Amino acid sequence: MDLDTLKATWTEHNRKLDISIRLNRRLLLAANMNRVRSPLHRFAFLVGVGALVGLIGPVILGQFIYQHWTEPRFALPAILLDIWSIASVAASIRQMAMALRIDYDQPITVIQKQIESLRILRIRIIRWALLTGQLVWWTPFLIVALKGFLNVDAYQTLGAAYLLSNVAFGLAVIPLAIWVSRKFGDRVDRSPILQRFMRELAGYNLNAANASLAALSEFEN
Amino acid sequence: MRPDPQPTDLQESFQALVEEHKKILYKVCNSYCRDRDSREDLAQEIMFQLWRSYGKFDGRCRFSTWMYRIALNVAISFYRGESTRTLHVTSCDQHLLEAADETENQPENVRLLYQYIETLDPLNKALILLYLDENSYREIADVLGITETNVATKIGRLKSKMKQELNS
Repeated sequence: MDLDTLKATWTEHNRKLDISIRLNRRLLLAANMNRVRSPLHRFAFLVGVGALVGLIGPVILGQFIYQHWTEPRFALPAILLDIWSIASVAASIRQMAMALRIDYDQPITVIQKQIESLRILRIRIIRWALLTGQLVWWTPFLIVALKGFLNVDAYQTLGAAYLLSNVAFGLAVIPLAIWVSRKFGDRVDRSPILQRFMRELAGYNLNAANASLAALSEFEN
Repeated sequence: MRPDPQPTDLQESFQALVEEHKKILYKVCNSYCRDRDSREDLAQEIMFQLWRSYGKFDGRCRFSTWMYRIALNVAISFYRGESTRTLHVTSCDQHLLEAADETENQPENVRLLYQYIETLDPLNKALILLYLDENSYREIADVLGITETNVATKIGRLKSKMKQELNS
């Protein structure tokens, strides 16, 4: 038995399908009316909302930096937070633009490469956000929030040693988090979200996306 | 070239064309999804993308080729598991696409073929479906975005691989 013999059977099956398939017109109409949203549109929408919310941070931080421009011990942590927030918004906008550019009316290898590139970008952004976020959103945030909302000087109240040890701890946690994710990423099987989070942190998902991209390139040659 | 129709005409012509080529929808969904719920979700997702892109369909290629391109693109993305799959606009007893000739009633050879297709990676699945549906190498190359020579080579490889596997 070979593919050409089976092709004849397939053609016969094809003919029979004409008679046996029924398309539900009412449901087809419902689908046409855009009542369903495509996953890519949903993704672009959520990323867009995230970017919009993320814009609030740089606005507040900008004001704080302006007020404390002459005090580098407050201005510098705020600048760090501001850079992180702006980079996060820019990354969201880039993801949203990439998702909206994807149009399925293109050759398969072209579209699948675009989708895979978007996936790789998303994984890299999440990974960097998770790893740098814990550094930026702890000590610098504590300094800025205490000063901005309560007018408390964290350096005097908590002490420079406490703040420095927190920064050191944050830095130490980065390689530890990667190690834990690599070691236990596959064992977290109860929650798919947690599993995905661990796999993304460990870089497994990035490797899988790169492997898909390599498979696509191989298919083209 | 297709003339610029009014929205209702557009919807009617779309429905008529989809009705005419519903087999493509059935075959793609059957080849990429095992369970009925996933097939239903995929069918709806394909319909949505077809409708979304229909305004841009200029008739330069056959409707079936264009439909295959979109359906396969959606199926491969869907198959990868990236989508959140929360589309279910249908109730349990209503389905967008139904076939009296379900898997259990299929001829043995067709079932064998579907089983073989299931073992292939998403891109080769697309290739074999296009080949079985008698698309020309030019059309297959257009849908996949590879050269005609590459299509011929890959089909040749698939044929010998399949012969080996089915005869062993």
